[in-house]
Amino acid sequence: MREERSAQARRRGRRAASVDDTPLVALIGPPNSGKTTLYNRLTGLRQKVANYPGVTVEKHLGRARLPGGERVYVLDLPGINGFSARSADERVTRDALEGRIPGIRAPDAVILIVDSTRFETQLMLVEPVLAREVPTLLVLNMADELDERGGAMRDDVLAKELGVTVVRTDARSGRGVEGVKSFLVEQARRGAGGAGDAGRSGGAGVVGRRANGLASGADSRTGPAVPPSSPRRIELPVLGTFTDRRNRIRLVGQRASYAAPGPSLGSERLDSILLHRVWGPLIFLGVVVLVFQSIFTWATPLMNGVEALVAGSGEWLATRLPDTWWRALLIEGVWGGVGSVVVFLPQILILFLFLGILEDSGYLARAAVIADRLMMRVGLQGRAFLPLLSGYACAVPAILAARTVENERDRLATIFITPFMTCSARLPVYALLIAAFIPDRPLLGPVFGLRAATLLGLYAIGLMAAIGTAFLLKRTLLRGTPSPFLMELPPYRVPGLRTIGLRLLDRSRVFLRRAGRTILGVAIVLWVLTQLPRGPEGPPPVNESALGRIGQVIEPTIAPLGFDWRIGVGLVSSLAAREVIIGTLGTIYGVEDTSDGSLELQHRLRRDLDLGSAIGLLIFFAFALQCMATIAVVHRETGGWKWPALQLGYMLTLAWTGAFLANYFI
Amino acid sequence: MIENHSQQQRRPNRVAHPDPRVVCLADCAMREIVELVHIELPDDEAECLLERGVVPGCSLCAMRRSPAGDPIVAVDGMLLAMRWEMARCLYVRRRVSDAA
Repeated sequence: MREERSAQARRRGRRAASVDDTPLVALIGPPNSGKTTLYNRLTGLRQKVANYPGVTVEKHLGRARLPGGERVYVLDLPGINGFSARSADERVTRDALEGRIPGIRAPDAVILIVDSTRFETQLMLVEPVLAREVPTLLVLNMADELDERGGAMRDDVLAKELGVTVVRTDARSGRGVEGVKSFLVEQARRGAGGAGDAGRSGGAGVVGRRANGLASGADSRTGPAVPPSSPRRIELPVLGTFTDRRNRIRLVGQRASYAAPGPSLGSERLDSILLHRVWGPLIFLGVVVLVFQSIFTWATPLMNGVEALVAGSGEWLATRLPDTWWRALLIEGVWGGVGSVVVFLPQILILFLFLGILEDSGYLARAAVIADRLMMRVGLQGRAFLPLLSGYACAVPAILAARTVENERDRLATIFITPFMTCSARLPVYALLIAAFIPDRPLLGPVFGLRAATLLGLYAIGLMAAIGTAFLLKRTLLRGTPSPFLMELPPYRVPGLRTIGLRLLDRSRVFLRRAGRTILGVAIVLWVLTQLPRGPEGPPPVNESALGRIGQVIEPTIAPLGFDWRIGVGLVSSLAAREVIIGTLGTIYGVEDTSDGSLELQHRLRRDLDLGSAIGLLIFFAFALQCMATIAVVHRETGGWKWPALQLGYMLTLAWTGAFLANYFI
Repeated sequence: MIENHSQQQRRPNRVAHPDPRVVCLADCAMREIVELVHIELPDDEAECLLERGVVPGCSLCAMRRSPAGDPIVAVDGMLLAMRWEMARCLYVRRRVSDAA
């Protein structure tokens, strides 16, 4: 949903930015300085934000919501530390600023947003940005944190020194955002292109352009916007070496009475535990165990509720509708297919709740540090661990997130192994099969049961396959020198309830939309195939229907794995999306077993599969690349069909072999 | 001078600095505040540090070790995790009292 909405916004924005004369303002700044949080505040959109560097890897275009209805487009860009553009996400920012992205012209103005608690290092960007000679607003974000930790800064002097307008904000709470909106209103009044002319004709040195009138409406706590009032004393930009640049920034800081904030004591205390040699890895393991156990224990009552609702509504409908073909389609096809998938929504939400807490707290960057040495052994580096962790939610954004990996060979290897990470679409399949075949027995006391252990094991074999594959790739096709590792660790923050709540809401919409579109569509097509060829006595037995015949064509290739034709049809249909197999089986079993219209899939699965073939099916799902969206994004990110074809073949071979061995030995 | 380094080899040999107070960051104690003097890394690797403000003259302080033993270094309020291999290529000057 979020992706679709942002795609629509992008399309709308691109059209507008390329066709009409609406001013375009780019948001740029170092990674994790709060660009996307501010973008969401300005546009009302909900792009993903989290507390680690490298969350945004694509451009996002949206129209700012301004009090007077003025039209301005805001362009959110991946974070950069400089303009060397070593990684793919940094190239997006450079290309956008230079107007090299088709359909989007170079921005008319720039908002440079920096983390005010790290003034000197973050302002390393100020000179290269001012060198672009467009109106610039400097946003000192996280100003509340600067105050809380005893830091100080004279914004008026800073504005005077740099020759730009300065605004203090706290984008998370929204304080000070009015000052940014005033800048946007100013750009709207200037119009597209006019700003650049103003910049060139301003006359006050290189940076003659200024946005005035920003003080009105600025939050008193975060301070008013401060327009520069006289020509700057340090003539910028004077790029030179990095050392010169840093020295000049230090001088500016001294003149602006900059007092560095004290250390974040809470973060230090937490790091002393979470990065402890012994406690760190143990706590990491504990968190993982907690997540998997809670997926089963916490979700059960909610799942029972959803299941009862779906079954009850299906029965209620069945008794009230006339006995026609469309009643059969509705009850067997739609309720049997879609309903059997919808019951897994609570488990998906619990997984996303934990992922959201980890991402927003700042712990994820620490996890990358903990994993770095392991990643180094297989030829990658800790930064590649972040896309892999995102892969637990969905492989598509995770593959995009691999853009933050600077080394091209490492990026390709990361893209190749990401689909092995257990995405949330696999979770319903795992949960169904585990509940059907694995007894609910405690393993380590009441805290950790056999079912949770099996689920953890499935996540582990996905991770091991990813690591093993990276090891192979980095010694064969993608051989290269080891990459250095450098990771910024953000301070810990209490995850925002609103952010996580909205993310769960978005995730529910994505899940239900998939159930409503893809799974519903597949369920209807499959149901129709079960009704053909229709004889005088009605539909044929399922195994003699068109679907049954298709399944029987597939059956010989999967018979060695212990799967029958029904599973075969499920595997083929799951290419649309992995969880579709549940809807498919729900439809087939629903048509076959019309006696009670029950959604009791587990019972039917136990009739068709033994333990060995059930484990084989789990392994097949752990390894196979059954996701068209992933194949499409790999094609896009690698620029051809070579890598997706190789990936599909490799993962399918591994899946088939793993399932065969499980069926043979268990 | 300081930002120029040889690209002849990926990892230059470590040589003792004429100033006895200049050592590599990897040799410093935890929580010792030092001043960066010289980065001896290939250009592309050095640029990652320079862009983040890790430039000669700035203060560095190795705050703690990661579970694998790598240093986590504080620079201008920012925590940077790096490997020991990189920390060995950062030459820093100790304070007089520390060196003594």
